[in-house]
Amino acid sequence: MTILKTSLHEEHLLLNAKMAPFAGFDMPLQYSSVKEEVQAVRSFAGVFDVGHMGEFLVEGPDAISFVDYIITNDFKNAELLKAVYSPLCREDGTIIDDLIAYKLSEVKVLICVNASNIKKDWDWISSKKSQFNCTLKNQSDDFSLLAIQGPESEKILKEVGLLKSVEFPYYSILESTFEDQNIIIARTGYTGEDGFEIFSSHQFAKFLWKKLLSLGVKPCGLASRDVLRLEVCYPLYGHELNDQVTPLDAGLLWTVKLAKNEFIGKAALLDYKPRYQLVKLSLDRGIPREGYDVLDEQLNLIGKVTSGTMSVVTGKGIAMALIEKDKNPKDKKYIINIRNTNYPAHFHSKAFITGGHK
Amino acid sequence: MAQNIPADLKYTKDHEWTKVEGDTVIIGITDFAQSALGDIVFVELPEIGKTLNAHQTFGVVESIKSVSDLYSPISGTVVEVNSGLQDTPELCNAEPYGSAWMIKVKLSNTSEMSALLSANDYQNFLSTL
Repeated sequence: MTILKTSLHEEHLLLNAKMAPFAGFDMPLQYSSVKEEVQAVRSFAGVFDVGHMGEFLVEGPDAISFVDYIITNDFKNAELLKAVYSPLCREDGTIIDDLIAYKLSEVKVLICVNASNIKKDWDWISSKKSQFNCTLKNQSDDFSLLAIQGPESEKILKEVGLLKSVEFPYYSILESTFEDQNIIIARTGYTGEDGFEIFSSHQFAKFLWKKLLSLGVKPCGLASRDVLRLEVCYPLYGHELNDQVTPLDAGLLWTVKLAKNEFIGKAALLDYKPRYQLVKLSLDRGIPREGYDVLDEQLNLIGKVTSGTMSVVTGKGIAMALIEKDKNPKDKKYIINIRNTNYPAHFHSKAFITGGHK
Repeated sequence: MAQNIPADLKYTKDHEWTKVEGDTVIIGITDFAQSALGDIVFVELPEIGKTLNAHQTFGVVESIKSVSDLYSPISGTVVEVNSGLQDTPELCNAEPYGSAWMIKVKLSNTSEMSALLSANDYQNFLSTL
């Protein structure tokens, strides 16, 4: 299999990044230290090359109703120039992927999907389009995508000249041109901090990458991205979300709008009794990792850790875990088994930290 | 990448170093290992008195993203453990050959020491990776 490269691949090598294969791409895992990269995003600004992610463009009179039909969240009633996060489900309610849909106009929607699911999503979405008057284009190879994340992101993008002083709320987008280049800027991200994701030509991405680095923005890799999203408890496909669970198993009830018109998965989800509950756990000692057993106080196996790491901010081991709903202990006392030792875990009803996004 | 490989130590292909002090051997991880792992945030070491065979797992070192086993270069009994690393695992990054030594083992078979790599051999081994 050919190894895919983003438009910034050479830049990563120049910076001596530690590279690793991810979803078929050779991607930067880290540049300096994961800790420093996380801290930069929490306190200043970091930039991520997420050009491996997939972009589909839906255009035509039915573009909005089509997207509304294939996702579980409400897209029809979203305002123009808004972004909507949603699972993409099968008829039985299981999750194919999670995505962000951007309402660029009444006849144009951009969908951003996980790199590892581009083909699966494309095949699924194209197979559902026949009743709708719209076209579907896979532009994953055409777009570069940079995410600038952190409290200083807005100030820095203004300094670059990409943002004017206009009202630009969280989860909204704007289409813009910069030196004759078309770009789409979205105030979205995967870190919990304020920040922007910038869809552009490859040429523009190279320019912006260098510009941001020259302004002191820290290049950040996939490793810090994973810690950042886990600290604020954002789910990741292939971990918390997968082909076997529905949004109602994985804490995504808020993204399933059962009151809206017909959408794929609605009938199944209306009757669905969740089999799992996604919980947030932390340890005073030890680091939970994906696949570790979660036990109740009587030491019955009740679930598995889906993602785990050491939180840079709290200095504690943190995890999300899928727990079998009928075994979920009422007393919220959980134990994580690490290398045959049982560590009592703290249950968290909220994310481990609150990001600073607007 | 230039590696710090002190000439007076012996090494393994699992990236541990050893230093002989009388009949005990001090064991830690090499500069290459700490640099490959990145920020070390957790170290798990054995109890004093544990008997180890050569190549047996004696503990675990974890970075933010990864878990790696530690392998004993030699056979013997653990006589001392650097318990300070529990609270300051970052020392493994800062001083892998100094304050971040991990365990001291009383050798049960001195002949095993001859199987370890010299600094030069370890350097050559790294260049093949």
